[in-house]
Amino acid sequence: MPADATPPLQSPGFDLDEPGTYLYSGRASTRGFRLNRFALSLTKPANREAFLADEAAYMAGYDLSEDETALVRARDWTGLLKAGGHLQAILKLAATLGLNLYHIGAHNTGTDADSLYAMCPRGVSATPEPE
Amino acid sequence: MARIVGGLGISHTPSMGLAFDAGMKGEWEPAWKPWFDGTRPVKEWLADLAPDHIVCVYNDHLNHFTFEAYPTFAIGVADAFPQADEGWGPRPAGGPPFPPVPGDTDFAWALTEHLIRTESFDLTVCQELALDHGVYSWLPYIADAPWPAPMTPIAVNMIRHPIPTAQRLRDLGAAIRRAVENLESDARVLVIATGGMSHQISGTRFGIANEDLDRYFLANLKDNMPALVDLPQTEWMRLGGTEAAELGIWFAMRAALSDRIDEIYRYQVFPKITGCGVIAFQEPS
Ligand SMILES: [Fe+2]
Repeated sequence: MPADATPPLQSPGFDLDEPGTYLYSGRASTRGFRLNRFALSLTKPANREAFLADEAAYMAGYDLSEDETALVRARDWTGLLKAGGHLQAILKLAATLGLNLYHIGAHNTGTDADSLYAMCPRGVSATPEPE
Repeated sequence: MARIVGGLGISHTPSMGLAFDAGMKGEWEPAWKPWFDGTRPVKEWLADLAPDHIVCVYNDHLNHFTFEAYPTFAIGVADAFPQADEGWGPRPAGGPPFPPVPGDTDFAWALTEHLIRTESFDLTVCQELALDHGVYSWLPYIADAPWPAPMTPIAVNMIRHPIPTAQRLRDLGAAIRRAVENLESDARVLVIATGGMSHQISGTRFGIANEDLDRYFLANLKDNMPALVDLPQTEWMRLGGTEAAELGIWFAMRAALSDRIDEIYRYQVFPKITGCGVIAFQEPS
């Protein structure tokens, strides 16, 4: 990186707190159960087609809340994770839309997918303390 | 008596698979070519070793199992294990898809019987199981289709906490060893464990890459596993990203081997967002 360029993101920290990390707990899994069931339905090609043809009609079949539907419509990837969406489930929604992991990560980190891609791997160094 | 002849630990990640498919069309991404080159010796070693069976401890990523029922441990007992559709369709895109990984139900049932009844590992038995990039991403790097030996996959929950402890994963490996040695055939068995090394794919820590941690892990796996097992899983996640917890799966492979093994090969690189490493051990003949 040239000397005058400002790094767009801080180096990743060594903690497990939000928004650095969304640790996927049982509670998150309960909160996101219907959202994940919807997203995981998109591993079937016919379902992907149906969703792309009419998002609202497709989502109506999955018992989602208004907030959840709005998060999907807004492609609010960070909001979807906070609502209990599992990254691996939400990734199926991104895949259906022709997007990938970097689009979700970019939304999480407040950058765009190309910049994030260029930035990875984001190297850090630490090993466990010797006893 | 059947016996375990070797162990292989190897990383997995979706992009590893996609990079392979592009590479086979002569379009290697520069970031991924070193991993291809670095796995050539493993492919040769595996061809020479020619195991009769592979037991593969891996983790699914919401591609076969869903939250309606997500098993903590599950074993595949089927004639074949096809690729799961992860949302982008079967690989390689545009080409004939990889053939299913073959299974051997006689072998798998005998293993299941011993693991559940003698070792008290209460595995969920899956007579239908699609494998995701947890297996299909690295498999074409180390073998050509049709795949060289039948596989018995054992799936571990790494998707939602609570995940199994490192100690339990090590115990699973030791149980697999006893289960194999209990078989009446004279099969030669390879145990593979797969999990990404350091990585995290959500939150603002997206893309964290700790190569020193990955090297530390590989350097200690053969002779110093107790120190690795004793390190709290939250420490692996804190230092290497949440998905570094998958390294715990590698303990099952190491624990399935004796202390007389030779380390045949080790390689580590960090192409993009997942630490990629491979380590091969062989038992004395
Ligand atoms: Fe994984």
